[in-house]
Amino acid sequence: MILKGKVWKYGDDINTDVIFPGKYTYTISEPEEMAKHSLEDLDPAFASGVSKGDVIVAGKNFGCGSSREQAATCLKYCGVGAVVAKSFSRIFFRNAINAGLPLIQSADAPDRIKPGEVITIDFEKGTLTCKQGVFTFPPLPEEVMGILQSGGLIPYTRKLLGTE
Amino acid sequence: MGKTIIEKIIARHCREKVTPGKVVWVDIDLRTARDFGGANVVENFRRNYHEDRVADAAKTFFAFDCVAPANNIPYANNQQICRDFAQQQGIKVFDVDQGIGSHILIDKGLCLPGYIAVGTDSHLNLLGALGALGQGMGDVDIAFAFKTGKTWFEVPETIKVVVKGKLSPPVSAKDLTLAVLKRLGSKGALGKAIEFCGEAIDSLSLDGRITLASMVTEMGGIVGFITPNQEVLAYCRARAGKEDIEAITADPDAHYCQTIDIDISGLKPQISLPYYPSKVANVDEVEGERVNSIFLGSCTNGRWEDFKMVAFILKGKKVHEGVMFKAVPSTREVYGRLLKKGLADVLFDAGVILTSSGCGGCASGQVGMTGEGEVQLSTGNRNFKGKQGAGKTFLVSPATAAVSALYGKITSPDKV
Repeated sequence: MILKGKVWKYGDDINTDVIFPGKYTYTISEPEEMAKHSLEDLDPAFASGVSKGDVIVAGKNFGCGSSREQAATCLKYCGVGAVVAKSFSRIFFRNAINAGLPLIQSADAPDRIKPGEVITIDFEKGTLTCKQGVFTFPPLPEEVMGILQSGGLIPYTRKLLGTE
Repeated sequence: MGKTIIEKIIARHCREKVTPGKVVWVDIDLRTARDFGGANVVENFRRNYHEDRVADAAKTFFAFDCVAPANNIPYANNQQICRDFAQQQGIKVFDVDQGIGSHILIDKGLCLPGYIAVGTDSHLNLLGALGALGQGMGDVDIAFAFKTGKTWFEVPETIKVVVKGKLSPPVSAKDLTLAVLKRLGSKGALGKAIEFCGEAIDSLSLDGRITLASMVTEMGGIVGFITPNQEVLAYCRARAGKEDIEAITADPDAHYCQTIDIDISGLKPQISLPYYPSKVANVDEVEGERVNSIFLGSCTNGRWEDFKMVAFILKGKKVHEGVMFKAVPSTREVYGRLLKKGLADVLFDAGVILTSSGCGGCASGQVGMTGEGEVQLSTGNRNFKGKQGAGKTFLVSPATAAVSALYGKITSPDKV
C-alpha cells in the first residue's frame, strides 16, 4: 500500500481532548459529524481543510489522555491516511489499529517534515519520502499488521473465526 | 532469564511464550464499561455480534461513574441503554449510586493480585496498586472483550522505579506521585510497564498506592505495579472472602529496560500547573495565587484517607469566603463512612459541598467544572486545557487543597 498525502504538522503530547472533545463523545456518533469536530480545540482549520489521504505528523506521545476511541475514529472518518509521530500513547495506538488507521513511528522524520508538504509512504517497503529525504521505519508486529490490513479488529477477527 | 511482574501476569493468561515486544492473545478476568463509553460498547456489541451473549456475564460489569447521577439527557439515555443490555445479558451493574468502577473492583474483592482487567476507563491501570494488570481501552476493544473474554496485547518492557526516603506529613502519596511524574515526564514510561519499589513505596497504605498507580497513565505508562504487602493482601482476602490470594513478584534476575532512582527525602508539597499533569513545581513556587474553587475527589484522591486528612485540617475552621469547596467521595462506601463517622459534619460546618460518589469534575462530570478565569485546585489526575471547563486547574494533594481552601490562595501545607 502506498499513500501520498499532504502534511498537517503538530507538536508533542497531543491529547485526546483536543483530538476529539469529550463533550461530543455522547451526543455525536455519526462518522460525518465526528469528522467535523476533529482537532477542533487544537487547529480549527483542520476539519474543513483536510483531504482524503492527508497525513498528520506530530512529536512524542501522540494521543495521550483518555481511552476514547473517537480520537482515532474521527481521524479515520475525516480521511486521514496515516499518523506519523515520534511516539504514540498506547491506548491511542490500540484504538487506531483496531479502527484500521495506520500509524508510523519515527524518531527522526517528524522534525524534518514541513507543514503542508506532500509526502509518500510505502507501507510494504517501510519508507517515508519527503523533501528532506527518505526515512525508513520498522514494520509493525505481525499480529498488529494483520489487524491493520484487515481494516481493523472486527474484520480481522471475523476473518480469523472464518465467519466472513 | 527471570520475568518481570507483567510478563508473569500475561504468561498466566495466555498459551504463548511471553517476551517483550511480542503481541499475544490473553484471557481476561474482568471486563467493565462505564457510562462514558458504555453505550458505545453496547452499540458495537449489537452491531458486530448481533443477538449473541457475552462470553461470561459473571466476569462482566458496568459501573456508572462519570456523570452519576446523569445530569443531562444523553448521559441518562446512555446509562439506560447499558442497564437494558445488562438485564438482557445477566450482567451486574454498579449504578450511579456506587462510585468509581476501578475502586469498586478493589473494594468488592472482584479484582485480585495477578488479575487482568480491562475497561473503558484510562485509569483502570490503578489496579496496579494491587499488583494486578488493569488497562483502559476503546469501545470496540471492550465490546470484543465482552464477547470473547480475550484481547490482544503487546507485552511491554518494564522500568524499575526505586523511591528512596520517607514521607513525612503533610507530604503525602500525591506529592510523591507528582515528584515521580516530574522526573519521568509525560512520556517517561511511554508504552512501558513500571514496577515501583523502595522504602517509600513499601510504607504506602492501599489508598496511597492507588494514588500513585492511578497517575502512571500521566507518565505514558501502561501500568505501574506495587507488590502487595501483608496489609494489602489481608484487605484483598477479607474483601474477596477467600484465603488463597498471593502477590505476583518479579524474579530477582528479571530484565528491566531502565532503572530510575528517586530520593524523596526532604520532598516539599508538589503541584501540577495548568495545563499538563507533568508540569510539576513545588507548591511554594506558586504560593499566593488566588483560588476560586477546590475539587476533592477522583480515582486518585477520593478515598477515606484523603477525606480524613481534609477533615483533620478543616475541623473547627471555615473555608475562605468566596471559595467553593466541592467534595466527591470515590465510592458509596467512603460516602457512607463520612456520613456515619462524623466527618460529613466537620466538612459541612467548614462550608464544604459534599455530594454522593463518582468521578465528579475530574471526568468532566457534574461537580467541579470551571468557568472562564476560574482557578481550581483539584486532587484529580488531569488538568488538560478544557478538561474541567474553561478555567485553570492545578493538581494538588488533599492537604494542599484543604490548607489553600482556608486561605483562599495557593498555600503550602508545610507552613501551617
